[in-house]
Amino acid sequence: MGLIARAVEEAGIPTVSLSSAYDLTALVKPPRTFFVNYPLGHTSGKPFDRQNQTAILKEALGKAGEITEPGAIVALPYVWDDLTWLAGA
Amino acid sequence: MKYVKYVDVTRAMFPDQPPYQWTENVSAPWTPIAKPLSQSRVALISSGGVYRKDQPPFKPDKNDLTFREIPADTDAGDLRISHDHYDHSDAEKDVNCVFPIERMRELAADGFIGSLPEVHFTFMGRIFRKTQLLNEMIPGLIARLKALGVDLAFLVPA
Repeated sequence: MGLIARAVEEAGIPTVSLSSAYDLTALVKPPRTFFVNYPLGHTSGKPFDRQNQTAILKEALGKAGEITEPGAIVALPYVWDDLTWLAGA
Repeated sequence: MKYVKYVDVTRAMFPDQPPYQWTENVSAPWTPIAKPLSQSRVALISSGGVYRKDQPPFKPDKNDLTFREIPADTDAGDLRISHDHYDHSDAEKDVNCVFPIERMRELAADGFIGSLPEVHFTFMGRIFRKTQLLNEMIPGLIARLKALGVDLAFLVPA
């Protein structure tokens, strides 16, 4: 996905990305990324949690214009309810 | 911050194969965001394998170099997912977990974003044919974004 963000940006359309894979995003370096530390399959929020989904979208879209460093990754503060999925990390 | 290292996870999944070499870039391209969000047309781009039920599903394993155009007013209940490599059990029940089409409509209705294009875009991740991706699929996607007057692309990987 980072490759596509980079190509779209190069074509003159600014991009903002979400990511739940910090290490991969740091390697590929899309222009602007907001990191959501959730298990894969929930990048834009928890199921049936409209408030959480809206908050993620508003932060990413609303703050994209504040990013000035190409390749920046901004971690969003949201936490998955059950942290056992991070036990081995 | 504690987070899953997917480079290591991927290598552990395929111990008998040479380690997959992720693209590593030292810098990022840059186009300034010129318009206020409230005046911008924002397209959603998802790699989660989402398609409308009357469209052809994606090849669920890898290297599907096609994309689908999902009308921005599509009923979330008409969307399906074809992707073998992430757990989409929650996204099957609420597609907004990976393709927040309903939230985008709300943000446009509220005026938080200016407008939506007629369609959003979806494809299936796990494309390992970089040259084909760059030379075939991506130019088509960019041409459509430009034709639709998209000011900002919002990319949501699964």
